[in-house]
Amino acid sequence: MDFILNEQQEMLRSSAHQFLGDKCPIAFVRQMAADERGYSQEIWEEIANLGWLGLIFPEEYGGIDLDFLDLVILLEEMGRFCFPSPFISTVICGGLPVLWAGTEEQKKELLNKLASGKLLMTLAYTEPGTHYGSTINTRATEDKGNYIINGTKLFVPDANVADYLICAARTKGDVSDEQGITLFLVDRQSAGVEITGLKTTAEDKQCEVTFNQVKVPESNMLGECNQGWDLLQRVMEYAAVAKCAEMVGGAKQVLDMSVDYSKERVQFGHPIGSFQAVQHRCADMFINIDGMKFITYEAAWRLSQGLPSTKEVSMAKTWVSDAYQKVVRNAHQVHGGTGFTEDHDLPVYFKRAQTAKILFGDASYHRKIVASQLKL
Amino acid sequence: MDFGFTKEESEFREELHNFLLKEVTEEVANECRQWRGPAAPAGPHTHELLLKLGAKGWLAPSWPKEYGGSGLPETYRFIVQEEMAYFGMRSPHAVNLAGPVILHHGSEEMKKKILPQCARGEIRFGLGYTEPQAGSDLAALEMRAAKDGDNYIINGQKTFNSHVHFADYHWLLVLTNPEAKPKHRGMSLFVVDLNSPGISINPIWTMGGERANEVFYDNVVVPAENLVGEENRGFYYIMEDLEYERTFPSSDVQYYLEEVIKCAKTVVRDGKPLISDPAVQQGIAELTTEIEVGRLLFYRLACMHRDKTPILFEGTISKVFVSELIQRIAMFGSDILGLYGQLQEGSKWAPLDGEIEHINRYSIIESIWGGTNEICRTVIATRALKMPVA
Repeated sequence: MDFILNEQQEMLRSSAHQFLGDKCPIAFVRQMAADERGYSQEIWEEIANLGWLGLIFPEEYGGIDLDFLDLVILLEEMGRFCFPSPFISTVICGGLPVLWAGTEEQKKELLNKLASGKLLMTLAYTEPGTHYGSTINTRATEDKGNYIINGTKLFVPDANVADYLICAARTKGDVSDEQGITLFLVDRQSAGVEITGLKTTAEDKQCEVTFNQVKVPESNMLGECNQGWDLLQRVMEYAAVAKCAEMVGGAKQVLDMSVDYSKERVQFGHPIGSFQAVQHRCADMFINIDGMKFITYEAAWRLSQGLPSTKEVSMAKTWVSDAYQKVVRNAHQVHGGTGFTEDHDLPVYFKRAQTAKILFGDASYHRKIVASQLKL
Repeated sequence: MDFGFTKEESEFREELHNFLLKEVTEEVANECRQWRGPAAPAGPHTHELLLKLGAKGWLAPSWPKEYGGSGLPETYRFIVQEEMAYFGMRSPHAVNLAGPVILHHGSEEMKKKILPQCARGEIRFGLGYTEPQAGSDLAALEMRAAKDGDNYIINGQKTFNSHVHFADYHWLLVLTNPEAKPKHRGMSLFVVDLNSPGISINPIWTMGGERANEVFYDNVVVPAENLVGEENRGFYYIMEDLEYERTFPSSDVQYYLEEVIKCAKTVVRDGKPLISDPAVQQGIAELTTEIEVGRLLFYRLACMHRDKTPILFEGTISKVFVSELIQRIAMFGSDILGLYGQLQEGSKWAPLDGEIEHINRYSIIESIWGGTNEICRTVIATRALKMPVA
């Protein structure tokens, strides 16, 4: 049993910390929020060269075969610096289902390009009638060796730049059947795909994607027909833990900012960090972050080890989502008025906390999963 | 990073767990239910069980063999605590508080004489720190020990001392040099035989139903060999070991949760069992998650002890988290029971024979004893975050 990083993981962490510290100041984050694509292709290629994109993919597909726990360490640093990029969309939501369920041809076609920074992906799952449940109204009907997809997807991250969208569509059964959902690789440029950016709190690139008679060859089916649900849930587990890792990094940064500020800001002749109320809020943040770290790492470790992880993943996402809220809100209290101004860094974190808490399942969604795992 | 136990650790846990399943009889379980909380004494049957655990070398598994332990890595200590806590038993003060200080600072004679008895569960300690004017501000204590030949003569008063009404020894912090500045530089620790003439004990009954005590020392004669370590170093010994002693499993909360779930499945309201209410399921899921967080914080500490990594605040973090978790589960259990939540043990209609009603009352002290959570948060802020002192 060990709660600390090994030497290799420490090196990964510190090099990522240095790289992102250098390339990703908050000014850059704001710039990307205003940017149409939302990320820098130049930096994307740099991280491809560093091996980040293919970190958990096998070498034969351009990866370096490390495990998910190692990726979580990287994601934590990305969260610390609010790194704007289609990383989770591409690597987790796109790459992993291809790795797990793709044909050899699909894997060869997509994963090498992904790992080398030449291909972006995302997953189109959520719809107006469901967040992460099984109520899939988007339909894919078979038509002479093709599938015709019709429907609306919402909150699709980075759809504006993804080369391929993995679309979860219903191929049979009632609207809420877990069976009868199939995944399709859809080229973003396909006729009938329309993408509209949504105006979100974090100014990240989440989109509405409408599929209007989008024709997709049968060879673009990912995995077995009607068997997409399990694959979808498995991706969601990894994505949820990835999001937890980002929140852990963000929370650490937020605490550092708060403690630093409390040492500089003087009121009533004393640095405010000497006041008990301020100290106690910071202590609470510290305790919450310890909890966030270990529950995230435990879930990531279990996934890496191939152990049953559904309960632990949901415990992580539920706890981290709530805990990050407490951390950020305590931070605002410590920062006082200055942290409320738009050009302060703290609101960037606040906004990301609001997004992260919901993406890939919010706390109460995941508590439902924990409850069902307990067989109450 | 690795969240699994070694094969040996898992086997040890299984052996201990099965032993406890067998040995925690209905009498023991009733005593543990009745006497929850830090002030709780072990009832007679529980005491017998502790002796059995001691005989197996399981009470202090990580102490060196020469002092009655089994010389096992520190993780075993944590496994024992976790398993015991699930069944409602706390690690005795002799093992968790007095013993370690004696192990680290006591004379060889004291170690040889006292530690094996502690490890076997044969002797019991009651803490003697708090005084009416010295709670969180322990440095304000006034009880005095004056050197007199081969003895010390001790005068003064302690309060809120749990366990002393049945313990063998008093773990006493007193002033040996009242002139010292600051005061804590003049404090010493003694092991005092509670049968000594001049000691009188009065009960203080707590709202949780447990007994604490006022203890009066009237010219009590204590042999000089009962001084722990060096004179005037007592306060430092306590402070150094405080983080070492702050170990809080969340397995007792796990047990409470299982009881709450049992209850929620049987108590019916408006035609439905409480467990069918989604809000109740959410609460149970939340507590399950928090128990896991508590467990991780506990084992993080275990690894630090095992690896002899200096511990500055991680024990304190565990204390704050688990104490407030105990209160949360008490509130949750009590809330979902509604009107039934007020029924006490022995009352007709009392769910779980009043167990949750009891936990709700006793758990108030969890965020106060052993270092109030306010003091703990200040420790975290100043030691972990290096925030400025006023």
